[in-house]
Amino acid sequence: MPLTELLVGGILLGGIYALIACGLNLIFGVMRVINFAHGDIMAVAALSSVSIVMVAKLPFWVAVLVVPLAAALFGLLVQQLILRRIEGAPVIMSLLATYALSTILVNISILLWGGGYTGMPGVLSGSVKLLGVNVSLSRVVSFAVAVGASLGIWWLLARTRFGRAVRTVSQAPELAEISGISVGRVRLATFALGTAMAGLAGVLIAPTFAIDPQLGSRFIVKAFAVIIVGGMGSYPGAFAAALLLGLIEVFGGYFAGAVIGSALLYLLMLGVLLVKPRGLLGAGVRV
Amino acid sequence: MRRSPLAIAIVGAAAVMALAVPVLGSAYAVSFTIQLLVFLILAYSWNLIGGYAGYTHFGQVSFFGVGAYVGTLLMFHWGVPWYLAAIVAGLSGIVLAIPLGGAMLRLKGPYFAIGMFGLARVLEAFALGFDSVTQGGTGIYLKPMTDLRPLYFVMLAIGAVMLVATWRLDNSRLGLKLLAIREDEGAAESLGIRTTRIKVGAFVVSAIAPAAVGSLYAAYLGFIDPPTAFAPNLELTTIAVVLLGGMGTVLGPLVGAIVLSVVNELLWASYPQLYLAIIGVIILGTVLFAPRGLVGVAMKHAWLPAGRALFRRLALRCAKAA
Repeated sequence: MPLTELLVGGILLGGIYALIACGLNLIFGVMRVINFAHGDIMAVAALSSVSIVMVAKLPFWVAVLVVPLAAALFGLLVQQLILRRIEGAPVIMSLLATYALSTILVNISILLWGGGYTGMPGVLSGSVKLLGVNVSLSRVVSFAVAVGASLGIWWLLARTRFGRAVRTVSQAPELAEISGISVGRVRLATFALGTAMAGLAGVLIAPTFAIDPQLGSRFIVKAFAVIIVGGMGSYPGAFAAALLLGLIEVFGGYFAGAVIGSALLYLLMLGVLLVKPRGLLGAGVRV
Repeated sequence: MRRSPLAIAIVGAAAVMALAVPVLGSAYAVSFTIQLLVFLILAYSWNLIGGYAGYTHFGQVSFFGVGAYVGTLLMFHWGVPWYLAAIVAGLSGIVLAIPLGGAMLRLKGPYFAIGMFGLARVLEAFALGFDSVTQGGTGIYLKPMTDLRPLYFVMLAIGAVMLVATWRLDNSRLGLKLLAIREDEGAAESLGIRTTRIKVGAFVVSAIAPAAVGSLYAAYLGFIDPPTAFAPNLELTTIAVVLLGGMGTVLGPLVGAIVLSVVNELLWASYPQLYLAIIGVIILGTVLFAPRGLVGVAMKHAWLPAGRALFRRLALRCAKAA
């Protein structure tokens, strides 16, 4: 039954993409900053989780708690020391700054962890039956957490006072400022939340995928594809697009080979950018 | 850059050095300068679209790689001489850039950056995947060149053409239009500037030299494989060269290329990770502390005459104060 197997595999993969894209989307939606280092923060988080579990011999839940917090702290520093200082500068400056940050993170993690692949054998191993297909437990858990975190972010933005402040800052920073919202602090909190989500994604992919310092660049391109196809800044759009792209990658990879499978995502992203730049659901911000 | 002693000194010294190296210098000096010229040519090309038009272009190494493969396949299968291969490779850059630019440059700012970001990785995957044509990860070996000097002079000529073309552009209406796009694309459009057409033009022009140099570089190495052709380090160094030197300036890429080739030479071969991290730090530091680059700093201290960009900024400051 390869069809259901592919279907389940694609949806589970899509869940991970949704989590990665959610943090990226949050940061873009509020700050209009494209964080090229997002994938690399995730890679560092995954590598740190492997070190916590395999080297320090601590239980996995420690990594689940500690790593996203550390990522949030890192986000605070990046926002405070780098991005805040180039807020008024041309867009190219923030693009180059996060791009530089990405390079620094990748290469420092190669220096620290080495360039090879590691993993976390024995964590969340075992499998469960889904739709008659055997799926590894780690994939199901990471999918569930990814969906939970995405819903949590949606709830936070749509239903809480903080969420309303975030939305105001993203739509009209000047109006937010005169209504007494501290724009700087909202941006700081948003960026930290976004990097925390990258950290969480990193912890969750650690038991499932082979981990190496360069995995960030592989995932970030897919996360970009997700938020473009779903519409920049749109959370429901990104979630739907993540599942769609997960399915496309898995089916494309199965029927046409892995090279074409990932190239398909890129081509789909280009197509959407050209034909419907606000995303398939048309919910994204204007280009 | 009108009769500035420092500018003339920099260009003159660079030209004398570049001409003296193949005659007086060792084989090592020649290969070092070839590496420098690769950065220089890529940087001048990137400067057109990144510096003048203000578009963050993460796809330039794609043209380099495509040119490298087109040239190498021509040389390998049909024994085409390296200079003809380079010309065809340059044309292949145009052929790739016209549809790509026509499509992508309808996008603005960050969308263009994202759209171009993954291109090199996709092309690299294709180069690895279609191993019946490209021999995949094994790479293609060419006959090594016995005399590097002709190749050296061709590269030097391309670099000189790029420099002179940038200087002409800096003093032209077209350059002004590109700067207008960089500063405010909507306003430029409403003034009747055909922004998309000009952007696509700049993009296509910025693709020719990298593709040709890709082919020349493959001939120089005598070898090409996907990681060499689509090397992320090349992309990164190019951007750092332009940024450190000064985006949208005539001398910026030259200054940046000279500085960073030395860093590259010292570190790349033995400590690649350290080199790339340092390049990252250089980009970050320039963005934060000297976004106009070294040339911008020199203009501020009046060591170099101010370009248009500086005049415009001064005008803006007056307008704000008023």
